[in-house]
Amino acid sequence: MYLPRAGVVHAHSVIVDRRTFCLTSGFAAFAAACGNAREPLAPGRGTLTGAGVQDVLDAALTAARKAGATYADARVVRRQSESLTTNEDHLVEVAANESYGIGVRVLAAGAWGFSASSAVTAEAARAAAQRAVAIAQADAKIVKRRVELAPVAAYHDVWSSRVEKDPFAVPLAEKAEFLLSLWGEARAVPGIKFGRGTYEASLEWKIFASSDGSVIEQSITRVQPGFEATAVDAATGEFEARRHEIAPRQAGWEYVASSTMRADARKIAEDAVEKLKAPSVVPGKRDVILAPSNLWLVIHESVGHPTELDRALGYEANFAGTSFATVDKLGKLKYAADGVTIYADKTTAGGLATCGYDDDGVKTQRWDLVKDGLFVGYQTTRDQAAWIGEKASRGASYAQDYRSFPFQRMPNVSLAPAKARAGGAGGTIDDIVAQTEDGVLLTGDGSWSIDHQRYNFQFGNQMAYEVKQGKVTHALRDVAYQSNTLEFWRGCDLVGGADAWRLGGALHDGKGEPPQSNAVSHGCPPARFKQVNVVNTNARKRAT
Amino acid sequence: MSQVEETLARAVSLAREVAKGADVVVRGDARRDANTRFARNEITSNGDVEETRLGVTVAFGKRHATATTNQVDDRSIRAAVTRASEMARLAPEDPEWMPPLPAQTYRDVPSAHDPSTAALGAGGRAAAIAQAVAAADQQHLDVAGFLEHGAGTRAIASSAGLAARHDASRVEMTVTARTKDGTGSGWGNATSHRFGDVDVPTLARTATEKAVRSARPASLDPGRYTVILEPAAVSDLMSFFVSALDARKTDEGRSFFSKAGGGNRLGEAIASPSITLRSDPADPELPSRPFDDDGLPLDPLTPVDRGVASALTYSRYWAAKQGKKPTGRRDAWHLLGGAANDAAELLSGVARGLVITRFFYTRWVDPQSVLITGLTRDGVFLVEDGKITRPVNNFRFNESPVTMMKNCDALTKRTWRIGSWRVPALRTHEFHLASRSDAV
Repeated sequence: MYLPRAGVVHAHSVIVDRRTFCLTSGFAAFAAACGNAREPLAPGRGTLTGAGVQDVLDAALTAARKAGATYADARVVRRQSESLTTNEDHLVEVAANESYGIGVRVLAAGAWGFSASSAVTAEAARAAAQRAVAIAQADAKIVKRRVELAPVAAYHDVWSSRVEKDPFAVPLAEKAEFLLSLWGEARAVPGIKFGRGTYEASLEWKIFASSDGSVIEQSITRVQPGFEATAVDAATGEFEARRHEIAPRQAGWEYVASSTMRADARKIAEDAVEKLKAPSVVPGKRDVILAPSNLWLVIHESVGHPTELDRALGYEANFAGTSFATVDKLGKLKYAADGVTIYADKTTAGGLATCGYDDDGVKTQRWDLVKDGLFVGYQTTRDQAAWIGEKASRGASYAQDYRSFPFQRMPNVSLAPAKARAGGAGGTIDDIVAQTEDGVLLTGDGSWSIDHQRYNFQFGNQMAYEVKQGKVTHALRDVAYQSNTLEFWRGCDLVGGADAWRLGGALHDGKGEPPQSNAVSHGCPPARFKQVNVVNTNARKRAT
Repeated sequence: MSQVEETLARAVSLAREVAKGADVVVRGDARRDANTRFARNEITSNGDVEETRLGVTVAFGKRHATATTNQVDDRSIRAAVTRASEMARLAPEDPEWMPPLPAQTYRDVPSAHDPSTAALGAGGRAAAIAQAVAAADQQHLDVAGFLEHGAGTRAIASSAGLAARHDASRVEMTVTARTKDGTGSGWGNATSHRFGDVDVPTLARTATEKAVRSARPASLDPGRYTVILEPAAVSDLMSFFVSALDARKTDEGRSFFSKAGGGNRLGEAIASPSITLRSDPADPELPSRPFDDDGLPLDPLTPVDRGVASALTYSRYWAAKQGKKPTGRRDAWHLLGGAANDAAELLSGVARGLVITRFFYTRWVDPQSVLITGLTRDGVFLVEDGKITRPVNNFRFNESPVTMMKNCDALTKRTWRIGSWRVPALRTHEFHLASRSDAV
């Protein structure tokens, strides 16, 4: 699911002078919508090119219409990122990346056409629009199903991540010092030989304008700190690494600075050493208790991806695969145990996929995918809603950058916490452990893999523990679990409470050809799953 | 001088102006890539993007930073240079930093650039795709796939006088055919730097025949099997192995190649004598860039020579520290072919085994044993008494490419290009299929 780090980003927001834009717009509907605009766009901070972005967007839409498009949208997108890497006590990488450009998408003769340019000028925008229309018209001759767009309201809005401390404004020295301080903690633990610190911040800034009359400016800031400690036993030639469990988040530097990362660094190092000495797990069917830092990835792979409508219908068959959750099963399939509700939500506070509007210009929302165990919903875009007889898009369209074609991408998908119990007990990991006779507790995400229809999966962890008679007894080594999506979710017999609910997530989830990266969060409380196949992954002797 | 080289020269001179006395390395990648996707027997989307990416690394002594941009006008280049030098001034010293290389001599490599591939166009792509769709329609199969081609120039320049440039084109077509009842799936692919090498009818036939032959699979239990791995499966597993070749990780005691008590496994027989793994930018079947991202010349390298671990990869920093020659970072790899005349010959003598088309979602499980997990996909066939008898279900595997190489007893003479690899099909034993997958 992860892509390598994508080229990035940051710069400064751009001003759109709404009045000028409306006056020059070639689309009547667009101009009419402007008249109803509720609020002005954010004050600009200057563009990289200095050109008026409004002229560029207008040029694209006008040229598309003149060339024969029945619908058009244009996105000017700037992506910026900053990354730091440390090896033990020194910084080995400092990088700032940026990309900027305009993507124009059109519908002509019932087919999509798309073209992009890294030059953000009116001339380049017109040329891109004309190329897009030409491509659509050529493809229309061999396209069998005409694209139909679900209706959408016209919006004039500005949306921005909640950021207290702009990560790009924090002095480099402060960020470097933070990462290096983690090694300062870890190195004190005997047996620890290496520590790698990583940090990534990104800013995704875009203005979307469409022939349906929307002009939407959005600014999304994301951060991800990371640290991994490695213990080496030179005598035996064995080693183990242990990674932090702080999830990436849509937030500013305040998220990193206020995290428990520094406080936990020594424990992370101790865990790596403990893992190296821990007994290898005895394989077999066991009850598994998954911390949110482990379970988020299972939700992503076994619920998030199978409920993508394009995948279910075969549009991703050549690469990511299809889905067992086919359209005929909607509203009928028992996906999970009673009481398990899993929802999609592009409005979750701090969620990596959270935004005001998707890349179709649809206002974001929350809806159920699995309700009380029943499969009830898909993720859709404007051109997909009609495929399952829905009247409106769920707002799950996304393109990673200016040069990429927008398509259906995963919103934040989360497991709802159990309703509060009488007396308030029962919702935390400790509560679940206390109710478990014989099980394995897993925390942190490790290795992950699932088949191309989303049945068979195997997940690792960062730490695994034996649970006996309601107590964690000791750490275990070489642990992974294998299961089948439906068997696994139907065997979910304990779901934690709201207080123990945490957001996990990934900055780079891949889908499509050429692959595009999407950032997505998954919230969940801890949960228990009955009689899961726990396997031993020790192949050290065999491979030597 | 190409446009990208001119851009680099401009960037180096701007950097000298902005960051006086600094070491500067500038990397450029100017390319145009175009693609067409298809699914459900029709074209679904298109892309065609031309972009130049520029990366500027500035170093004051051992303080360094890099800024990249896709805007290559003077103002933007100056902004990138300024950002890199501002960050570099603030960065702590990096003891691993290696100053830019001066001018290097690179080996002559066969051309990897084919002008007709660069110029294929939307029409050329649509025509190729129409053949695959027609083949699938004829057999009442669903078909999906991807055709991507591109061409570009990668270049590096430094304030110490380095100047390197390489032009390359690339095309890849993949086709997945599925039976309407959803019980059969087949796959075919072709990769080259020349579109002329892409045999669309054969590729489409491979996918459609496999889809038909793999339909209604019999149920088979997981276990350890003799397997015939087709080229895509081989290159997938081997790509994990080459990432374990890093000398630094080995010397630090955290690699498959590390030895208990210190030292490494060079000189040990780690694979069957039929296994030789090589990397050579001058390989006529797989021509590639003769330098890496540092501008370091890439000489031929043979990490496994007739089963013996023979070479590890050294970065410039680690080589300097250990008194070794740096090998550079490599993309193109070649697992040499063997004696079998064709894939069918790999079946002969197999009492009971499986033919595996390819793997999916392969991921690390344990770096020490190079243990990898993943799933089979698009056709698994039972072999009984030297013949394919029937299709069977898919599996999850937990296995190491090291074990695969150790237990390998036959490889085809012919090799195929898969991504940046050139590999044969091979036969190996005791391959660990850990559980059943219901996916088709």
